[in-house]
Amino acid sequence: MLAIVNPFTDPYWGNPENLANLLWVIVALPLLGALVCGVLGKFMGRANTNFVACFTVFSSFVLSCLTVWAVGAQSTQFISPASGVPVRWALWLDLGRWFSAGDFSAHYGFLVDRLTAAMLMVITGVGFLIHLYSTEYMEHDDGYPRYFAYLNLFVAMMLTLVMADNLVLLFVGWEGVGLCSYLLIGYWYRDTEKAWAGRKAFITNRIGDFAFLIGMFLLVLLVGATEQMGRETALGRSNFTDIGRARAWVTTVHDQGPLNVEVLREWALRMPPETAKGRPGMNLGTTISTEGPLKGKTFGNVLTAVLLLLLLGAAGKSAQIPLYVWLPDAMAGPTPVSALIHAATMVTAGVYLFCRLSFLLVLSPTAMAWVAMIGAATAIWAALIAFAQNDIKKVLAYSTVSQLGFMFMGVGVGVFWAATLHLVTHACFKACLFLGAGSVMHGNGDETDITRLGGLRKEMPWTWATFAIATLAITGIVPLSGFFSKDAILHGAHTTELAGYPWVGHTVYWLGLFGALCTAFYMTRLYALTFEGKRAADARTPHAHESGFRMVFVLVCLAFLSVVGVVWGLPELVPGPGGRKVAVMEGYLAPALNLADRFASIYETVKHVESPPWLGYAIAWAVALVGGAAAWLVYRWWLPARAGKPLPAPIALFWRWARAKFYVDELYDLLILRPFTVLSKGLFKIVDAGLIDGVAVGGTAAVLRRLGGWLRYTQTGNTQNYATVMALGLLFSIGVVLTWVLR
Amino acid sequence: MDGITLQHYLFLAALLFSLGVFGVLVRRNALVVFMCVELMLNASNLTFLAFARDSGVDVGHLPALFVIAVAAAEAAIGLAIIIAVFRSRGTLNVDDIRTMRL
Repeated sequence: MLAIVNPFTDPYWGNPENLANLLWVIVALPLLGALVCGVLGKFMGRANTNFVACFTVFSSFVLSCLTVWAVGAQSTQFISPASGVPVRWALWLDLGRWFSAGDFSAHYGFLVDRLTAAMLMVITGVGFLIHLYSTEYMEHDDGYPRYFAYLNLFVAMMLTLVMADNLVLLFVGWEGVGLCSYLLIGYWYRDTEKAWAGRKAFITNRIGDFAFLIGMFLLVLLVGATEQMGRETALGRSNFTDIGRARAWVTTVHDQGPLNVEVLREWALRMPPETAKGRPGMNLGTTISTEGPLKGKTFGNVLTAVLLLLLLGAAGKSAQIPLYVWLPDAMAGPTPVSALIHAATMVTAGVYLFCRLSFLLVLSPTAMAWVAMIGAATAIWAALIAFAQNDIKKVLAYSTVSQLGFMFMGVGVGVFWAATLHLVTHACFKACLFLGAGSVMHGNGDETDITRLGGLRKEMPWTWATFAIATLAITGIVPLSGFFSKDAILHGAHTTELAGYPWVGHTVYWLGLFGALCTAFYMTRLYALTFEGKRAADARTPHAHESGFRMVFVLVCLAFLSVVGVVWGLPELVPGPGGRKVAVMEGYLAPALNLADRFASIYETVKHVESPPWLGYAIAWAVALVGGAAAWLVYRWWLPARAGKPLPAPIALFWRWARAKFYVDELYDLLILRPFTVLSKGLFKIVDAGLIDGVAVGGTAAVLRRLGGWLRYTQTGNTQNYATVMALGLLFSIGVVLTWVLR
Repeated sequence: MDGITLQHYLFLAALLFSLGVFGVLVRRNALVVFMCVELMLNASNLTFLAFARDSGVDVGHLPALFVIAVAAAEAAIGLAIIIAVFRSRGTLNVDDIRTMRL
């Protein structure tokens, strides 16, 4: 008897909390898809593989939508194991212990709060659209089972990263997306240059991941030292006077492990900064007195070290100075991969990490200042390089680096919601731009040089329209999403004062404005050279053709999202914490970021000066218009008018430097790669070839050969000789026994 | 039997055994080597019986009986091998039979 269940009234399905039991399916579906595509893809054929790859991600998307509904429901909450108090607007699923070693343990656990929910929508939503786009983009490639297996695996790993309830599982996703990125950059591995680009990405990321690991180890020691001081010292005990809650925390540190997010949240609650008034007991200025590697250091200094190490890790994954060099080379992969991994999702992992740990970050203004300044420097540096690149994907790659710098600026000055909003809107319009670039390449015989394109406006109307909308969005023209997300960050920077670093906010603001100007310039240049004017004389194909339905559909969807994304960023729209009117995204993320905001206001590590954003918005808008207009004039009027004449010397010099990416790759080559190669060669010759191969392996062989040369004369083959030796041996043994043993 | 003690038997057995070993090691004729092995076996038999008789434990006769049985079997097989070797090689000189050497 089939019972028809209305999921909204059924007592089980009607309760959003029960959706927690299904969280693992969101990760499992793309993982299954990767397995099926990779193993059976050749046998299933192209259409079935396409279907499996898209369907699994789409199913995850549907479940993610349900999850978003669940974390939006009033009643949804779970009891935090670390404190025993309910956490609202979040789901938690603990699948049990993954491993434990000594005191340390880690669980398979999924935590979805509103921050994760926003990420879920980006990953599965944009992810699905890009899978759909890939089905057409890769229709002439025979490696499609491998391609879709990697792509599905990537989605699964990215979902693990954002849903993990502890840093260890997050690190699994972190490494997993790195692996998929490497596999997909080097997807056309027969091209040596592309294979090397994959390696460069992998190794550069490895540097960051190493720092990430060390940071995690330090964090484990830090939590352990806190717990130990709480037990062993009178000072520490005064932080743990609430017996029930303290016991819950200590139990959870051992059960769930010290890197569980709830454990860290409770740790942050118990560790006020030195300046906090009226809080007896340990604070971040306290020197750790228990035995261990951290003895003699203060909690605050160790925390800052942890965050700076995580910053280096995030700089690797999110392509920030000094580890940004891999991202432009990562464009060697198929274009949908660049859109999904190297623009929309993976590279935002660093931003996500800092939003997830926002409550730790606001405890250390030093770390925040570093994050903000690294972000600002990257935003401008990458934008300047983007000025002179002629490869359409390279421009977009540097643009991504630059926009990620904006997100880091937002994180660094404590407007986490704005960074997340920019992450979401950037995912939409940058994916649209990349896929538009892919469509351009698809219709022009894989031409990527913008000086050999041009005039595509008439020939590829849909690509043109969507690309234009996305360009306006990233430039920051008013009714589009990029405007409010970027300017929410700039406004946040302008009105923020970090404790001890009063100059950071303003510096970041002015640098950010300059970055916005550059963004408008290079994006308008890219658009103008690709779509406006006449078709270049040396174009690869005489006529471009518009892409097919699936690609155009995806472009239109993303362009639509780039427009409606503005709703999330409109200021003063919904009631927020503290009775203020805030933007939709700020109000939505408030439960997930509340601890950071609370710390910022009560500890006064981050001061937000209230001021109406309108003037700042007007300035930012003017800046975007000036930048865009300048590029338009230069590329539509000035340069064509000067055709044939050389550029003025200073501009030409800047051009040459920017074209060569300011020689950073060459600098790294000189400072790091060369010495490293020389050292490696020396070590190879002395240690490997000399000591190991020569002395250890060769020496053993030589000694044995020589010894065998002598001893082989005893092998006469004559039985009587052997018997003689045996008899003499027996005689000797008897002699020994009689002489010494039976004396 | 007054003058003949356990030691006399043991000395005789040791002498026989040494003769056997000496023969095995130095004689070149495989048949003689084989006979020397028998000599060693009988020397050990003599030792068993001397001890059995001296201690009055009759169980000591048992190994001697086993050795005789084994020696008989060995004689049968050994002689067969010697004949086979002689037929195939035409010699019984052990120096010429060196197939153990690679």
